[in-house]
Amino acid sequence: MTPDRTVVLELTRLEALHLAGLMRQFDELLDSTEQAADDPAVARLVPDAYEEDPDAAREFRAVTEGDLLSRRRSDAAAVIESLRPAIDDPHLLEGEEGDLVDEAGDLTDTVTIALDPDTVNAWLRALAAIRLVLASRLGIQSEDDHDDEDPRFGVYDWLGYRLDGLVRAVSGD
Amino acid sequence: MASSTLSLPDLDRDLDLDIASTPDRPWQTVVWNDPVNLMSYVVHVFQEYFGFSRAKAERLMLAVHHEGHAVVAEGPREQMELHAQAMHDYGLWATIRKAPE
Repeated sequence: MTPDRTVVLELTRLEALHLAGLMRQFDELLDSTEQAADDPAVARLVPDAYEEDPDAAREFRAVTEGDLLSRRRSDAAAVIESLRPAIDDPHLLEGEEGDLVDEAGDLTDTVTIALDPDTVNAWLRALAAIRLVLASRLGIQSEDDHDDEDPRFGVYDWLGYRLDGLVRAVSGD
Repeated sequence: MASSTLSLPDLDRDLDLDIASTPDRPWQTVVWNDPVNLMSYVVHVFQEYFGFSRAKAERLMLAVHHEGHAVVAEGPREQMELHAQAMHDYGLWATIRKAPE
C-alpha cells in the first residue's frame, strides 16, 4: 500500500538523537567499506541473487551493488534531515562517546515529526537496513537469539518497535 | 534436483526432445526467510511493491516464515532480476532461479 499521506511520528528528543547517531554510524560504515564483501554486515545488504550460480551472482552484484548501497546512504541522509528539527537544539550538546549533556533537561520531551510519503519510505528502508547490520554484528541467526543483558539488543528491539509502528501507520492499522 | 530418469541412457533421446519442447520454463523470484525482517514489514513490502492484496501478501509472508521461502513472481529472467533487486532494496533476501520442473 503506497502511503499517500503524511505520517506524523512522535518520539522523544533522546530517541531522535540516538537515531540520528545510528544513521551517521551507518553512513560511516558504508563509507569505510570499499567492497561489500569485506564486511558481512554490509554484504547482507547486497545478498547473492543466484544460489547455485556464483558467476551469475557475481555479475548481478556488480550491476546492483552501487545502486543498493547509494540508496542506503540517501535513506540515512533523509532520516537525519527529517530529524533535524528535533535534534538541532542549542541546549543539547553531545559529549564524549556520544553521552548526551542536556542543559535544559528536556531530553524526554516528545517531539512531533511529519514525514511525507517519500520520507516514510526512506525511514522504513533505513530502519530495516540498520537492523540487518546490527543483527549481523550481534550474530543473530534465529529469531530466538537474544541477550537481555546486552544493551545492543535493546537498540535492536527499539528499532524494530519503531519500524513496526511506522509500518502500521502506513498501512492504516 | 535431477529426476531418476536422467541417469538412464536409453532415455536420453526422449529427454532431449523434452527439453526442446519446453524452452521457456519461466524464471522465478524467491524470497527467503531471515530472522531479522519483521512480519509486518514483509507484508508491507509485498503489498507496496507487487501490489498484492493484504490477504495475498500475508499468505506469502507466512509461507516465507514457515516454509523458509516463497515464490513471489514468475516470468522472464530480466524481470525477475528487477524484482530481486527491488527486494534487496527493501532489505529482503531474494534469489532468482529457473522454475523447478
